[in-house]
Amino acid sequence: MLDFIKKYQTALMAGVLLFSLGAGVLLNNQLRHLRESEAFYRWLLAAAVNERLFQENEDPSEDALFFARCTALAEKFPSFSPSDKVDGLSMIGSIAKNYENDKRLWFFAESDLAKEERAEFLQLAKKQKLQFATDIEYAEAQAGGVNIFNLFFGFRKVAANLVWLEVDRYWHQGNVYRMQTLMRTCVALDPQFVEAYLVGAWHLSYNATAQMQDTPWPQREWNAKYGQCLGEKERFYYYGVDFLREGIRRNPRNYKLYFDLGFGIYKQKLEDYPNAVKYLSEAIRLPHDRWVPRQLFLCQELNGQYGDALEGWKDYVERYPGSMTAVEVAPRFIMRNEGMLYEKEARTLRKKAKESTDPAEAEELRAQAENYWKKARDTWNALDDPYGEGRKLMMDALDLREEGRYLEAIATLDKARWDTGALFEEFSSLIMEIKLEAHIPLSVSEKKALLRESEVGLCSGMPDEERQRRLKSAESIESTFQ
Amino acid sequence: MTFLSSVFGGPWCIAVYTYREGIRRKLLIGFLILSLFVIFGSSFISSFLDPSAETDIDLKLIKDICVTAIAIFGALITVYISASVVPAEMETKVIYTVLSKPVRRVQYLLGKFLGIQLIILVNLLLMGGLFFIALYMRQGIMPTLLLWSIFLTYFEFLIISAFTFAVSCAATSPLVPTLGGLFIYITANLTEYLKDVEHRAGQTGQFFDNLIGKIASALYSILPNLQNFSIKMQIVNGQPNDPPTDVLIPWLVLYSLVYALAGFACAYLVFRRKEV
Repeated sequence: MLDFIKKYQTALMAGVLLFSLGAGVLLNNQLRHLRESEAFYRWLLAAAVNERLFQENEDPSEDALFFARCTALAEKFPSFSPSDKVDGLSMIGSIAKNYENDKRLWFFAESDLAKEERAEFLQLAKKQKLQFATDIEYAEAQAGGVNIFNLFFGFRKVAANLVWLEVDRYWHQGNVYRMQTLMRTCVALDPQFVEAYLVGAWHLSYNATAQMQDTPWPQREWNAKYGQCLGEKERFYYYGVDFLREGIRRNPRNYKLYFDLGFGIYKQKLEDYPNAVKYLSEAIRLPHDRWVPRQLFLCQELNGQYGDALEGWKDYVERYPGSMTAVEVAPRFIMRNEGMLYEKEARTLRKKAKESTDPAEAEELRAQAENYWKKARDTWNALDDPYGEGRKLMMDALDLREEGRYLEAIATLDKARWDTGALFEEFSSLIMEIKLEAHIPLSVSEKKALLRESEVGLCSGMPDEERQRRLKSAESIESTFQ
Repeated sequence: MTFLSSVFGGPWCIAVYTYREGIRRKLLIGFLILSLFVIFGSSFISSFLDPSAETDIDLKLIKDICVTAIAIFGALITVYISASVVPAEMETKVIYTVLSKPVRRVQYLLGKFLGIQLIILVNLLLMGGLFFIALYMRQGIMPTLLLWSIFLTYFEFLIISAFTFAVSCAATSPLVPTLGGLFIYITANLTEYLKDVEHRAGQTGQFFDNLIGKIASALYSILPNLQNFSIKMQIVNGQPNDPPTDVLIPWLVLYSLVYALAGFACAYLVFRRKEV
């Protein structure tokens, strides 16, 4: 054999060269297929996140139309079954909801079934018609010409880092507007620069607005995208929201982005608890740090989802039994949510008892309500902190209200709201409710507070329909002042 | 066993000799020290950032700078060493002594090529090791994704080194193959442009344009595309268990081995009738 090799080694080597070049061609094709599939897969993930979380796009964009076609095709994919489907979501949206399904989605993206869609995706990406494909490296490279992908000779991430150092410099100079533009350049260079999204959104929502006053309503302008009247300060919050949303589309499997959006902006800045719960719930679906669920339970409580918060805290204690949070913090929150659930149940039963026409049934309901009321009081007693004390005073006030002793109820609540700062808003609203019920005149500030979201909430650029709705609501509230 | 030792025994001795000789080169040591300085210096990058913001940005900066430093200095080391090993032996006439021994040219080339790979691997391990320690000290957990990135970087260098080695076998001095190696590195990173040429050439419908388009298409299929290895930058900051990345890595390894084989075969075909 050695002799044979020695004799024909030139021919053998030429054969090896031809074979390896042939194999190289095949492998080039295979790698091209994989990279095309990767670009398609990343676009599918981005479009699925958009469908699930940010359905603000009213106009059917090219992305949405193409995604609908891909979704129709996905229904035929053998490894996806109807049981995978989640209500209100397409097949791909349902699959992409769980990160453990990423492999299945990848198999779909690279399958022969999706061959035509993959080719169409590349065509659309080449023409730069797909909004969510503009930063997917391979798709970008296919667009040809001089684009960011080709610049920096593959070292664009380093360029992004250098741009970030400039962002930091502008921030220290207080040059917020320039900083914002550079931040966009930075994430265009490196769409996976998660920290840039996090710190950028923090700068926009917290630091840039720190020295700003709340914009007076007459100076605000209507923002159609968010359906809100926004001034300069409020716009910065939403710049932060948009920036994080962009980051989520590009990095849908990073919990930090969901967390910062839900907790950092929606909870802390906008006090929009439903959205806070929505994004924090997404964060805990991904591999996350231990403190993430705790913030979700807090937001669930603030959003009135006491049952969910209670279950969450109990589950947390079971998971991390020896941790300081499980020993010192969780029991208080478990009691708080239990107390709130009892209160809620008691109020519902009292309401039902009032509405009931059958005296026996009403009596039965009242007895049940009293039972829950007592359980709530016991819980607040056991809690033994300012929050529990505040709730007890509120229960006293509600008992007085039941008896028709409105002035005493208001006085009790007034004391309670100053003693327990965390409950100030809730008790103030309750005072106004009792005053309206008892036909006691509201103070000027109370009237303004009631009108804030209606008459005073008018701003320029607001659609007529919205303006009329708010005016009508203002009229109806004003009529109760008489 | 005897067959294996007769075929690979000689090349292995040459490889070890090449490694010992190559690792002592001053320019190589210079590149290595420079890269180690950059990797070490990257740890101070956080001094440019806002100290009040407790973020992982400095970590990301270190990762990107180090991966880039390894890619650039590693490529320079690869090109320099692959381009200079054979021509340097011709200049010093050591090759005559070696080839006068019972060593076939293919064995000689195999030994030289393996020696080059040893040098590249040792340099890469030194740079990667320092980077690994720097990251471990900063984040406190083993940066395992970094290992994948360094692993892929080696296979990228394998392609560059194979073709530079082939060029060096045709040359008598290291200068031309060094320039050739740099050219290979740059063009192999720009292979993606050929696709663009193919698209644009077909637009006029003229014969010559169509011909250029076809040539571009053929070259695009045959030439190695180093942009395929760009995921090494993506991996180091990415998430674990990313399905496309997991699938791409084994294919990239195979891709690299196939082109290394092609480069080596070219080197042999060039060298076999060379008058030495």
